[in-house]
Amino acid sequence: MQMPKRVKYRKAQKGRIRGNATRGNTVSFGDYGLQALEPGRVTARHIEAGRVAASHYLAREGRVYVRIFPHKPVSGKPLETRMGKGKGEPAFWTAIVKAGTVLYEVGGIGEEAAKQALLRVAHKMPVRTRFVHRRHSV
Amino acid sequence: MEIATVQGETRQTAGHHANERLRRRGLVPAVIYGHGLPNEYVALSLHDTRLALARMLHVIKLRVDGGEQQYLIKEVQFDHLQQTPIHVDLMRVDVTERVKVRVPLELRGRPRGTLEGGTLVSVITELDVECLLLDIPDGIRAHVEHLGLNEALYVRELTVPPEVKVLNSGNDIVAIVHPPRGTTAAELEAVTEGTAEPEVIGKGAKEDEEGEGGE
Repeated sequence: MQMPKRVKYRKAQKGRIRGNATRGNTVSFGDYGLQALEPGRVTARHIEAGRVAASHYLAREGRVYVRIFPHKPVSGKPLETRMGKGKGEPAFWTAIVKAGTVLYEVGGIGEEAAKQALLRVAHKMPVRTRFVHRRHSV
Repeated sequence: MEIATVQGETRQTAGHHANERLRRRGLVPAVIYGHGLPNEYVALSLHDTRLALARMLHVIKLRVDGGEQQYLIKEVQFDHLQQTPIHVDLMRVDVTERVKVRVPLELRGRPRGTLEGGTLVSVITELDVECLLLDIPDGIRAHVEHLGLNEALYVRELTVPPEVKVLNSGNDIVAIVHPPRGTTAAELEAVTEGTAEPEVIGKGAKEDEEGEGGE
């Protein structure tokens, strides 16, 4: 599963997800994309599950681009532990997703195949998503 | 070239709140500039603007206060979902003027290389061109059936109308057929392998310092 190679700090504060995506909200690499419609945390497991689902459906045809990366560590306390004694150890890694973020892109395939592949990815995602096309600039 | 008619009205107010009120009324704030004249502030019909943008048109005929004039769509800002236009820049242009625009590139056919397991990757999806206002092509079509594995289509190989000048370098790659990647199992291993926790920047140095200080 994905995680950063090097980090400045092992643990991070929880934070709040505010606002909408102002970057990474266009289809930039492929022809079709999967766009988040609400904010949320997409864990490294979700990302990997989505990648496998798309790659499996496309059967090595076309190309899948994963546009998000789990940069943020989330810590957790072990089971049956009393409260206190400091912050828990890092448990998993997440990508912070805002409404509008393009999560995955596919290219080199037809629209119907892209829709089917990204529908399978959408089922793995913890946020509501929609299928989007690349839009040409004027 | 197709030109859409967009209904509009002049606007006296500007700024965030005034523009938001316009959007609630089904209008899109827009600005008109160019030719050394002062800027004009207008509001376009959202419905007409959406139709024009869906057809990927570059030139619109704006109908304001009974008058009609053609403008070049210079820039469009969209909301965070890239769904609704929230502001449009329009530029004054003459019919005899050469303009620089981006036109979509359309790849036609299935490359030979994909039958051998390759993947067609389009590197450039839009072409920068310079031409007269009324000569702007709807799109440039390129055939890619002849591309084998590791073969690319270059900008210099594209067929464009004679009145259109391409501004991209001739050596730019439009599309390339990549060979098939390694086996899926190997890929999966590469992904799952690795340390359980990332290295912390500066941690080693800090520990050394602390150790020295303690001694």
